[in-house]
Amino acid sequence: MDKLVAQYSRPPHQNEMYSEQEQQDLTASVPPLSLKFSLPPVDNRSAFLRAMTDDHSNPSCPIKLAHGTTTLAFRFQGGIIVCTDSRATAGNWIASQTVKKVIPVSRLSRGEDKKTNEPTPGLLGTMAGGAADCQYWLRYLSQQCTLHEIRHKRRITVAAASKILANLTYAYKGYGLSMGTMLAGMTPQEGPALYYIDSDGTRLPGNLFCVGSGQTFAYGVLDAEYKFELTEEEALNLGRRAILAAMHRDAYSGGFINLYHVKEEGWVHHGFDDMNPIFWDTKLHKGEFSNVTSAL
Amino acid sequence: MSGYDRALSVFSPDGHVFQVEYAMEAVKRGTCAVGVKGKDIVVLGCEKRSALKLQDTRITPSKIALVDEHACLAFAGLNADARILIDKARLEAQSHRLTVEDPSSIEYITKYIAGVQQKYTQSGGVRPFGISTLVVGFDKNDSTPRLYQTEPSGIYSAWKANAIGRSSKTVREFLERNHQDDMDREQTIQLTIKSLLEVVQTGAKNIEVAIMAPGKTLEMLPDDQIESYVKTIETEKQEEAAKKKTRAGTTTAAILTRPGGGESTD
Amino acid sequence: MEVLLGIAGKDFVILAASKAAMRGPTVLKAEDDKTRQLNKHTVMAFSGESGDTVQFAEYIQANAALYSMRNETELSPSAVANFVRGELARSLRSRSPYTVNLLLGGIDPVTEKPHLYWVDYLASLAPLPYAAHGYAQYYCLSILDKHHHPDCSREEGLALLTLCTDELKRRLPIDYKGMLVKVITKDGVEEIPVDNDKVVRSA
Repeated sequence: MDKLVAQYSRPPHQNEMYSEQEQQDLTASVPPLSLKFSLPPVDNRSAFLRAMTDDHSNPSCPIKLAHGTTTLAFRFQGGIIVCTDSRATAGNWIASQTVKKVIPVSRLSRGEDKKTNEPTPGLLGTMAGGAADCQYWLRYLSQQCTLHEIRHKRRITVAAASKILANLTYAYKGYGLSMGTMLAGMTPQEGPALYYIDSDGTRLPGNLFCVGSGQTFAYGVLDAEYKFELTEEEALNLGRRAILAAMHRDAYSGGFINLYHVKEEGWVHHGFDDMNPIFWDTKLHKGEFSNVTSAL
Repeated sequence: MSGYDRALSVFSPDGHVFQVEYAMEAVKRGTCAVGVKGKDIVVLGCEKRSALKLQDTRITPSKIALVDEHACLAFAGLNADARILIDKARLEAQSHRLTVEDPSSIEYITKYIAGVQQKYTQSGGVRPFGISTLVVGFDKNDSTPRLYQTEPSGIYSAWKANAIGRSSKTVREFLERNHQDDMDREQTIQLTIKSLLEVVQTGAKNIEVAIMAPGKTLEMLPDDQIESYVKTIETEKQEEAAKKKTRAGTTTAAILTRPGGGESTD
Repeated sequence: MEVLLGIAGKDFVILAASKAAMRGPTVLKAEDDKTRQLNKHTVMAFSGESGDTVQFAEYIQANAALYSMRNETELSPSAVANFVRGELARSLRSRSPYTVNLLLGGIDPVTEKPHLYWVDYLASLAPLPYAAHGYAQYYCLSILDKHHHPDCSREEGLALLTLCTDELKRRLPIDYKGMLVKVITKDGVEEIPVDNDKVVRSA
């Protein structure tokens, strides 16, 4: 059936004024939005992919993707807080406890060669869903942002960067991509900006987002105490506490708390800290998590 | 014939691409277009070909075209070529909005137009666009006026004021003498029309003027207003000429218009 | 459970869309704008598959803008509606159709008459005096059948809309986070502030 449809349906732009080749030629000075991949030689690729990877419907599937996460980001008067856990799971197996789920975007400002704690200009992306998809496409986005920076002699806006990613995920809709990303950044044109992009092709600007299997737990803590007027310290603590809540309750989240603050001058890293001492500190000194007993 | 102008993509031994130079010749034969930047405004002026008796001037296409809400363009050269290029630019402007949300910068549009023009100097089976363009407008959230020029070869450049087309050299020299930074709206429009009148003898009915201001769309100056500008400029000119004449004719029996009455230095 | 409502009156069209952007069990955004302005006198409200909706709406928006730029005229609402229908019909026969339902409202700039069009993802097009998409149809169409008349004033139209949204608040099991309301008149498009916090009690 799919073969039949493929045979009789045309690509959407065929009937327009310019042929596809012409369009390509004319816009070749602009980078192509989607790269060309070789695809498996089967009729229905997305169904094939699902059969191979979906351990929900088929626990003995041959490929187990790294999934499961809690990530959050919110805007407040002092900028944007971005916070994630660090666990990667493949099925019931914890594949890693030290994943860096906050990815700096734009090569000119990755801050790799900087040891100081000065703000680093650029955007931050978060990673939820397929680890490989997120890493790969955020790196691709990085490349596009860098090219934009060189071509236009100014940093890309968060709006534009998020749209590049959303158009990309939309172009690959139905091919089995799995990602839920937040892009945070501050530019002179737009101030602090936060966007949610996922593999459905959704792109939403907003004040507060939580993404991943532990999102509900994080939302619970965050929504209750969030307000725009939070001080920097309150905001950092709230972000950390919300992730902790999710790491505690969600089996697929855990490991280290990775905390960032995006300010006008750039982003600042506020630690990659083991959740356990923080959890026990929160329990013993603040009296929270009272369902957990510390007595032997 | 040297033979080096047969195929477009062939250099002559001394490094010329003749077809491109012929295209520039076509530009020189086109009607004149002027662009002038003021302090927070940018004005385009065009020489309009006189219409034939039965031509409907009301719906004959203009030499000034809107590329996007914030960008507009005037050209000199082959009208038909311009139509195609403008259409490509419009498509790109919308496509830019669609892919990155923000409207494109004026420099981006210029670069795109110049890029298309360049492509037609290096591909087989095509001929270059016989037009130069002046691209003007304002970037988003920015009140700096922008003025760029593109040429058939694909060169683009930024200007404070410039002219293209027939007698553009005369007009450019006039602009070089009279352009100042920080001109207000009135001064900028006046300079545009004045510079055009250097080469347009027939006056207001053969001139069209477009104005762009930050955050606003294109404003075409109505004919009667152009006429009044032309009138004031012409009376000014006449007065000046008369002054010169009187000064030259009556050296001794000077009419004492000024209390000093002596030699003036202007 | 997205809500789209449209009401045409004497010299205006009201379009209303729910403000919640939902995904799975969460409301991702409570202030989402599910409308796009296509030109000075036409607005489109949309619902459906996430991703598809905005992509399609912005594609139409860009093409409408390109048309007015190329031809120095604005497309009339009926022209836009038929263009939209055509695009949906074309996409329906492609490998990945847009799953988008929409309402299109506008004032014809020449005749100054209001137009409201109902379009679904199967590319059906119907000009209607009032219209709705989704579960809202089941509640609101009966209300509109009873109370709407074609030359109602703007105030009557907005009162009619309140009648509908009140019923939705009363009976819909999911909170759609209130409505975003836009009114199109010959002078352009205006967003109407509405009290979405009003508590409506069930009988």
